Amino acid sequence: MKTLTLLVAHARLMLAELFRAPGYVIPTVGFPAMFFTIFAMPYARDASSADFELLSYVAFAIIGVTLFQFGVGIAAERGRPWDRYVRTLPAPPEVRFAARIIAALVFGVAAGGLVAVVARIFTPVDLNAEQWMLLALYALLGGIPFVLFGITIGYWTSARAALPIANVCYLLLSFAGGLWLPPRMLPGIAAAVSPFLPTRQFAELLWSISGGGSRNAFHALGWLGYYAAFFAVVAAIGYHRDEHRRYA
Amino acid sequence: MSSIEFFDVRKRFGSVEALRGISFSVDTGEIVALLGPNGAGKTTAIEIVLGLRRADDGYAMLRGGSPRDARVRMQLGATPQETGFPDALTPREVTAFAAAHYPDPLPLDELFASFDLTNLADRRIGTLSGGQQRRVALALAFVGDPAVVVLDEPTTGLDVESRRALWTQLRSQANRHRAVLFTTHYLEEANALADRVLVLDRGELTFDGTPRALRERFGARRVEYVGPNGRTIVTTPDADEYVRELVNSGVQFKDLQVAAPSFEDAFLAVTGGSK
Repeated sequence: MKTLTLLVAHARLMLAELFRAPGYVIPTVGFPAMFFTIFAMPYARDASSADFELLSYVAFAIIGVTLFQFGVGIAAERGRPWDRYVRTLPAPPEVRFAARIIAALVFGVAAGGLVAVVARIFTPVDLNAEQWMLLALYALLGGIPFVLFGITIGYWTSARAALPIANVCYLLLSFAGGLWLPPRMLPGIAAAVSPFLPTRQFAELLWSISGGGSRNAFHALGWLGYYAAFFAVVAAIGYHRDEHRRYA
Repeated sequence: MSSIEFFDVRKRFGSVEALRGISFSVDTGEIVALLGPNGAGKTTAIEIVLGLRRADDGYAMLRGGSPRDARVRMQLGATPQETGFPDALTPREVTAFAAAHYPDPLPLDELFASFDLTNLADRRIGTLSGGQQRRVALALAFVGDPAVVVLDEPTTGLDVESRRALWTQLRSQANRHRAVLFTTHYLEEANALADRVLVLDRGELTFDGTPRALRERFGARRVEYVGPNGRTIVTTPDADEYVRELVNSGVQFKDLQVAAPSFEDAFLAVTGGSK
């Protein structure tokens, strides 16, 4: 039970710090719902288009949380004197990683949940209980490769570069992945690369819930699995490289 | 069992030998200063004690175990470097966080009282002065009531008054059941706080003894006066005795000054001229 106490202590402190940084909270939690309101609501005229838009923007929200929480968060913290101090405390290193995952879940639920709430109130979204459950499950599963992508950014870029890089990846991949515009409306190059992007596959996974999208959930999960494996390797190399340089 | 034990510890970074085989131990109840100029290897030695780095060769032990082992570090308390706090958090939050790691932490209010933080405990750390932040750092080192406390430059960057206040608080936290190791580049600080001083220079331990022995070895006084032969400057290990003799000798003199060598001078003496 000691580990659980530690995990709670670490997650609490991490969340307290994050929640007091408006520059982090607003874009992470607020942007997806705001974008949804501005860009998606006008197209959400019937149940099927509203479902489609909701599912796209939940993906957008989850991707934002993972890239910012893991990418920018890790890059900013790994060189901090405070991080060095925390390592001297008697806690296994896994605790800190687990705490970060909890923090990401909290923000993921907040950002994705806010989109869902807005969609539920202002658009004719029509998902049944089972579909909502499936959305939560797929959002978590499909978020895994993006967690690893975020960790990759966190360990391979400097604190200064992480934010712009995460932003560019976030916006470009969201756009080309068809999260803002349906794939058939994407311009030339974006349409050509779109099927190969993890964002597109994440979207396909979520779209499958309401019967939208072009392929079934298993196909998308397969692609996301490959992406997860790829980013797991690159992230692990980055992690060990940084550990070795800083703490060998 | 020593609280901290180094045996022939070596550490190399690329072509730089940061530690060239240093051995020392710190016993329970002792306060030991690790003194040395920047680049002497203090930080590397401390990082090994804290379990942040491992020795290339030799061994470092914390109460008989490896400091890389989290369970062993339950007996260790340390400070963050300088003012490395998350600005948005409060002293209460960070100390409660640290306390959660230890089996038998001190009551927070008691801790805040002894570091004069009672009225600051719920303010954001970013709004505290440098001296106040250093007190928070010290509170973190002691909150777990650990058997070994390691302080990395606890007073760097503070004015003289805050530094002295911190020394008083530190002294009140040291006791028979606790070993304290701290680094400093203030000779005066080592003198005021430590039972024993270790001097590290270019990766080697060049002195291990009491502050008194250090003073005797390096801490000469400078006596200056204008005598029959004009301005005279003498460096002597015992200024009192020198002045007594000067007066008794009946020599005419004026403008007598006795000064401690500057920290700089002492440092240069201690570290054989490297800086």
